[in-house]
Amino acid sequence: MPQATVFAATIAGVEALPVEVQADVTSGLPGFGIVGLADTAVLEARDRVRSALRAAGFEFPNARVLVNLAPAPLRKHGTGFDLPIALAILTATRQIPAGLTAGSSAVGELALDGSVRSVAGTLAYALAAARCGHDLIGPGGALAAARAVEGLTCHRLDVLQELRTGFSALPVVAHYCSGGFTEPDLLDVAGHAGARRVLEVAAAGGHNLLMVGPPGSGKTLLARRLPGILPQLDDAERLASALVHSVAGLDEAPLLAGRRPFRAPHHTCSVAGLAGGGSPPRPGEMSLAHNGVLFLDELAEFSPSALQTLRQPMEDGSLTLVRAEGRVRYPARFTLVAAMNPCPCGFLGDPDRTCDCADGIIRRYNTRVGGPLMDRMDLVVRVDRIDPDLLLGAEQGESSSVVRERVLATREFACRRGGLSSGLSGAALLDACRLTGATSRLFTETARRHHFSGRAVTRVLRVARTLADMDAEKRVSAAHLAEAVGYRGWENR
Amino acid sequence: MKSPARHAIALGDAAYPACLRDLSEPPRVLYVIGSPELLVPGLGVIGARKATPYGLTTARRFAGWAAAAGVTIISGAAVGCDMAGQLAARSSGGSTIAVLGCGADVDYPSGSADLLQDLRSNCAVISELPWGSPPSRWTFVRRNRIIAALSAALLVVEAGLPSGTFSTADFALDLGRDVLAVPGAITHPESRGANRLIRQGATPITDVSELGDALRLAGLDVEFAQEAAQLTLPSGAIERALLAEAQRPDDLARALDCDVVTIARRLGELEMGGNVVRYRDGRYGFVAAR
Repeated sequence: MPQATVFAATIAGVEALPVEVQADVTSGLPGFGIVGLADTAVLEARDRVRSALRAAGFEFPNARVLVNLAPAPLRKHGTGFDLPIALAILTATRQIPAGLTAGSSAVGELALDGSVRSVAGTLAYALAAARCGHDLIGPGGALAAARAVEGLTCHRLDVLQELRTGFSALPVVAHYCSGGFTEPDLLDVAGHAGARRVLEVAAAGGHNLLMVGPPGSGKTLLARRLPGILPQLDDAERLASALVHSVAGLDEAPLLAGRRPFRAPHHTCSVAGLAGGGSPPRPGEMSLAHNGVLFLDELAEFSPSALQTLRQPMEDGSLTLVRAEGRVRYPARFTLVAAMNPCPCGFLGDPDRTCDCADGIIRRYNTRVGGPLMDRMDLVVRVDRIDPDLLLGAEQGESSSVVRERVLATREFACRRGGLSSGLSGAALLDACRLTGATSRLFTETARRHHFSGRAVTRVLRVARTLADMDAEKRVSAAHLAEAVGYRGWENR
Repeated sequence: MKSPARHAIALGDAAYPACLRDLSEPPRVLYVIGSPELLVPGLGVIGARKATPYGLTTARRFAGWAAAAGVTIISGAAVGCDMAGQLAARSSGGSTIAVLGCGADVDYPSGSADLLQDLRSNCAVISELPWGSPPSRWTFVRRNRIIAALSAALLVVEAGLPSGTFSTADFALDLGRDVLAVPGAITHPESRGANRLIRQGATPITDVSELGDALRLAGLDVEFAQEAAQLTLPSGAIERALLAEAQRPDDLARALDCDVVTIARRLGELEMGGNVVRYRDGRYGFVAAR
């Protein structure tokens, strides 16, 4: 019977869901139909496949061709179905042996000349194939990323003509090569002793950070140096972060090499740009910063509705988009680093410049960020313009590598103790802090005086726990708490 | 609740406050909500809207003390020093009058609405503008002359440069009222105005006994009032440095040749204890007893 099945997949969220491409070639009025909730890009495959097969010297059957994408109720997106459809038709018409595609998943877009192009989300397709125990067939460009998936056999197919000679097997590389990239170094930052300390705390504990200061004081300079003092991504993180980039059609190679994502969307970024969205849904900046740093410069200039979408992911580490066609979940565990001016003119509190902003305007400017978001800022630090003497003088801070060694040691201590403090809450957090009676009373009193919310109490304790980790101490002392309270923002006291 | 009494007092009326007649252009009609008998010469307490904790503390300290001593506090109910002084006067059980640059029944600025409601019921809110007049830029400068005229003495607690408080001080000098000013650190931009007033001849006020003397000189009856708590001098190097001048942690670390972690922890402790406050601009300053 002239039928054949080839495995493929379609992307939903950051996952590729397995799809079977079934081709049925029967005699009758010649035609080519695709059924199974395919979107326009998939339906256009008909024309591409027809031309590509002919260009590659194969024959497009002069018969009734029906392609079914199963499971039928699942919506299918994208041009990655071109190759599996072509393979299914070739197998059904016996132009290639059935064994060639058995046990394989295929993904690739066809050009009219028969060459195969890579599509976004290769890594997701590779993971789906590995999960189903399949090999992956695809173009060479795309398979570079797929090699990061352990135990997956890849078959390279750059032009359809190669089907006559069989696939060229790719060498299997279990781990993607590490390193090979440089981050901006803290050596370039003169002065800013307080801000450097806070940056180190943020790196050590994965805490959110807000820098407030006049324009040109070095906020962006400092923020860009955070990835350089963070440890490289570990194997699981590499795959998770690269997956989001792959699905979004961005280069995943640096992430697979261990580089932390650093995303700095412009402040005109929309809600969908930050949280993800569109049809089909694409991950937003928050998800692209998964396991890395999301840097929002000029925080108060972002649209309030976009900013408020940050709130849930900052607590949960993921976000779920619910749309008419279904719900998708994107990972979004990031360290938020934000920067803003103290007032619209930017010079409030600058010793040499006068601020012309009216009091009400300053208050309104600061409320743009909103209490709930401010409440989620673990560390708030003022960054001031530094003296030109200091800027050009000999005083030089530590380099990123020195700071990173300390951050690594802190994280190691935290892991031995029971995990990074940013992941702790409730009883587990209190347990980890081991406050003495006196320290506990002092903190309760402070919390009452400053009207801390429950969340504020948790976040201060987390920062205090990280500070104790930095000192390699098992118990959080009053000094740690005092420093943590000092890093709390002043708007939300 | 009964709404507070409204009065419109014309220039010729017996109830018209005599001190306002000193003005070259006294208000033809004074619109009052509250008790018109409170409109006697008192102590004007004014200062910057963008106040630092230092300005707010001194406003509270002096206005609270003077009000407890039976002196009426006159001010403009603006956000910042004005409001801090008037709230302190109320909480120490004294009386205080708000002079507005809009109709006396208008809640402006909106941040002072609660204070104004309280004053209408228990003290007095006055204006020379008819009921319901909206605020505008020039009405506030005109309003300042009424504050100056009602004040036997005018205390400027904190003023930067340039500052609206200067127009009130100028009116007060023209009327022959005593001008008092609280000095601030010479390094603070927020204190330049008050320090300049002192250079121009205003009486510096550094504690409540000096304020008492100044008020008596201005012809006000000052009843015995409890001295405010004596300031206990702090001992540590950080505290002493902060007492001299509000500073940023980084500058403090450099000045004391100390690492930022020690500074951050000590500042945090002092802040938790309520001895030190963080200014809006990131500096830390010492707080005297309230």
